[in-house]
Amino acid sequence: MTPTIYYHCPCLSTDSIPPPPNSPSSSYSFHPLHELFFFSGYHCPNCLFEVPSASVRAEKNRCARNCFMCPNCRNTLSVVPSDPPDADDLRSLASNMSTVGGPPFFLYCNYCRWDSTEVDITFEKPTGLAAQLQKFEDAAPESLEFERLKEHFEPFLRASSSSGLSGHLQAAHSHTTHINPITAAASSALAREISGVAKYTPAPRGRRDKGSRDEISEYRSRVEVAGTKDASNVDFMRRLEDVSQVAALAQRWTNSWTMTLHSSDLRPLRIPLHSKKTKRCPTCRHILIKPEQKAHHDSARQHGAGNRQAAVEDTSGASGLHAGGTYPFQLALTNPLYDPIQVRLAVQRQIPPPSSSAPDGSPEKARRPPFAVSLPQSAFPVAAFAEAWEYEDDEDMFGGGDDELDWIGNGKTIGVLERRANVTVVGGEVVIGRDAKGPVKFNMLVSYTYRSDDPLGDEDVRTTPSRKDKVPDMKTFTFYTVVDLGDEIIPRFS
Amino acid sequence: MSTLAIPSTPRSRTSPSAPGSATLTGAPSSSRTGRAAVVQASPHYQTTRRHSLYGTEDRVVIDPGSRIWKVGFSGEGRPREVFSVPSLWSLQRSLDTIQREEEDRVLVVRLQAHLRAVFHDSLLTDPKSRKVIVIESPLLPVHVKDTLAKILFENLQVPSISFASSHLLALLSVGRITGLVLDCGELESTALPIFSSRPLFHQIRTTPLAGARLTSHLRALLLLFGTYIPPPTSLSAAVNMPASSRSNRVPLEVLSDVVLEEIKTRCTFVGEVLDMALNSGIVSPPGEDPMDLDLLPSDSAPSESDFSRISPDRDSNADPASSDFSVVSRSQVLPGPSSRGEHQLQALANLYMRHSTATDLHLKVLPPASQQAGTGHGTLIVPGWIRERGSEVLFEGGDVDEGSVAETILDCLLKIPVDLRKTLASSILVTGGTAMLPGFIPRLHAELIRAIATPPSSSARPPMRPGRPRLPAYDRYSILRPLVPYFAILNNPSPGPPSDARGSTNAGKAPAYTPAMMAWVGGSLAGALKTGGVEVAREKWDETGDHPGSVDTAEESDVAGRSPANVIPDWTRAPLPTGAPPANPPPPEITETAQLVVVGA
Repeated sequence: MTPTIYYHCPCLSTDSIPPPPNSPSSSYSFHPLHELFFFSGYHCPNCLFEVPSASVRAEKNRCARNCFMCPNCRNTLSVVPSDPPDADDLRSLASNMSTVGGPPFFLYCNYCRWDSTEVDITFEKPTGLAAQLQKFEDAAPESLEFERLKEHFEPFLRASSSSGLSGHLQAAHSHTTHINPITAAASSALAREISGVAKYTPAPRGRRDKGSRDEISEYRSRVEVAGTKDASNVDFMRRLEDVSQVAALAQRWTNSWTMTLHSSDLRPLRIPLHSKKTKRCPTCRHILIKPEQKAHHDSARQHGAGNRQAAVEDTSGASGLHAGGTYPFQLALTNPLYDPIQVRLAVQRQIPPPSSSAPDGSPEKARRPPFAVSLPQSAFPVAAFAEAWEYEDDEDMFGGGDDELDWIGNGKTIGVLERRANVTVVGGEVVIGRDAKGPVKFNMLVSYTYRSDDPLGDEDVRTTPSRKDKVPDMKTFTFYTVVDLGDEIIPRFS
Repeated sequence: MSTLAIPSTPRSRTSPSAPGSATLTGAPSSSRTGRAAVVQASPHYQTTRRHSLYGTEDRVVIDPGSRIWKVGFSGEGRPREVFSVPSLWSLQRSLDTIQREEEDRVLVVRLQAHLRAVFHDSLLTDPKSRKVIVIESPLLPVHVKDTLAKILFENLQVPSISFASSHLLALLSVGRITGLVLDCGELESTALPIFSSRPLFHQIRTTPLAGARLTSHLRALLLLFGTYIPPPTSLSAAVNMPASSRSNRVPLEVLSDVVLEEIKTRCTFVGEVLDMALNSGIVSPPGEDPMDLDLLPSDSAPSESDFSRISPDRDSNADPASSDFSVVSRSQVLPGPSSRGEHQLQALANLYMRHSTATDLHLKVLPPASQQAGTGHGTLIVPGWIRERGSEVLFEGGDVDEGSVAETILDCLLKIPVDLRKTLASSILVTGGTAMLPGFIPRLHAELIRAIATPPSSSARPPMRPGRPRLPAYDRYSILRPLVPYFAILNNPSPGPPSDARGSTNAGKAPAYTPAMMAWVGGSLAGALKTGGVEVAREKWDETGDHPGSVDTAEESDVAGRSPANVIPDWTRAPLPTGAPPANPPPPEITETAQLVVVGA
């Protein structure tokens, strides 16, 4: 597999120090660079109609126009007119109508050939279908029952505003804080268990009439569950020949009302709206990427943790990583800032994995890290970003012919290997232990310093908690990455 | 949390309120006024407070199940979206500190992803302007609850959270505030009595016989008795070789979670109690004595005594069928059934087969990776009796730790104060996803009656051990027997003919909301009625905890300094009242007394 680098963003995590690279939560703490950003606008993915945010809620987050999904295959449905009336004496009329079609209209799935006449849904006109269906939704049994339930509870709640439904926890609170000990003693004494005496305390206000201890009138359901389809469902299931006759769970789980299980009774679904998301930093709320706009440089600059492009090249070749071997690798660091930076790399000390997970059980072995990583110790510069046309010749841009790098090719693997434009390639080395197993992954701390004369700089710094004020003008940022050099160490056979 | 506190809307303020409620609900009200300045106020808000179309009065109702989440807005009759989540938490928690920290981290990131998706993808609403009702099961692990609150407050910055008990809300959805609610979900089946909107938490009973157990049981049955026909290796083979010659046992890989979920939700139903057919004397089980089917190591003792040793407190001697059920479930415990076990299970399968008229079903499944060479999909044949009898595992009692669903209800009734028993027995409500199985509720009612109605005939009960004097039969539920005519399941879709019984007139009178949705609908109702659990405002969270800006240190201080217990209410954290000392030394049920004091206060 290709070596990868993921980034740790302190804004997105509760911890400033990332978890050890091999634990499962590690994959959640680190992100590919493009995910590191973070909502604005709604639209229907089918008709691309932009829905004003005010009406999203009223329209139940669904497209309020003509967009429906097939209940069987989730394909989008198209509105088709009915076939012309099949009558011989109307032949001439029929041929006229077939070109335009006529009412009633219905929804048709081009993929699975489902059509809405199966569930008796037809439309008088081919537009505003959702509005035409709205009356069905308003008359849905769950909504009517819901209103009835509300009417049932409302007078009761009003009557017993704080004593009736308020329940014991609220009472507990009041008890512990506000009832004086004498009252408490009295109530405690009264509540003491006495054989033959009811255990519950009498309802307040003496509204406990015979037969209704609930202090609430009996609720009469609009539609009672008895006599609904469940009994026939058992029979239907018993005789079932084909699974596809039963609606899948996902097709019926939003129904809060008891329905048949038959998949033939499924109704078309309005297409859910999608939201376009702005990627913004959750801490400073600065918008980084807006939809339909390319990420511009200021945004990249803003996000201190996310803007260090670094690519890894594993030079160990295709044969994989072998236990006991030593492999060089390269890291390419790209500076997107307009200022040159000084970068310092450090490997996070390996936290020994929990001994229970050590395969051989020997605690000594488990504590020893399976591999050691060497990186350049000293800080190295990465040149400032410049637009492509600012370079004078291709050599500056694509490297080669740099005087400072005269030691390239000396067989040295650790240190700065290459500098071109705003990219610096450094070499590192990993020494894998003889008994090592598992993926070669390590957390790497990257810190960089630059001299800023940007007046907006202060605002930038606020967003990164790990700022250090050395010189007013020099700014240092740090962030963690996890470097994955290879999937598996191939065990050494002697 | 579990109770319905009246939030201090200006309206409810006008009525007399308990002295304590003013401070408790003071915070939410201040948050409301505080927010009104932030939210772009329009005159619309003031005029249409209750039915505001665009306003922020409607709350977000989240029912985060361990398997399926239901989310939507209050005041609506159905959730906006339902989705399944990978198992986020389980009944176990690692004992090792490092591993547990790791588990917690995974929980945080997964919960956060799901909660963010709820607001941004499902509901398309700004979390900062919506109060949230979180529906919680009474046995939701407290660390999960804290994590939920932490993410909602700190990451999504919701203005307030109310935790409400799923059992109580389910009762609301059927228009009641008193009842015995059984929630048969994924991880557990939990019975909780609720009287006059007060959950009697100390009488809660639970059993792990629920959805997850049903899944694993179905898997075990299919491995033994299902048939798998691999796809033909070539198209000509499909013509030449009959399917029967290619059929073989089901490879484990075929029975993926997705396939099993499909079988469970689309193929399975619950048949009637079987022993009716057996008792009417159609056949005795073929093969050997059914008692001998028990897979537990049996010595030379007669098989019947063997059986009664295993389940001494069961009246199942009257019905050999139910003892068979336990055999099947134990087959999961055994790593690989021995040939003897298989033989016996075969006898059991024959028994069920003979009494099941359900059709076999053919499912198209993906062949296991090692056999991808064929053409197209393989076929999995699910025998009809597995579809009908797979759910027997839920009704098979006798285990002290894992009582059947019916036993859980009865045990709960046994703990309930005597004078409440009749009321609660006649208003049982069954909720939860597993209760969606067709036929589940009528069967549960039959099991309830069967478990208590038939007294163990002492003549049929053999001595516990050979040589000992015969013991009087242990009749666990005898005390409940007078209640039999009163038993009624509120949402029983086929309650049977209206009997003479006074209490059972309740049966089937509930509105036809589905069992899985009742808690959510109740939550929506509570939100619309401006009630719901104790509301915790974000200000309160913020002042107790760290400033949300310093997120990087939140984790450490969470462990050390902050005690969320003060902020997030939970019935397990409810302090015992520091009232007057009792006249005599505290009675053994101090908690119960405390509860009563609290209720009365």
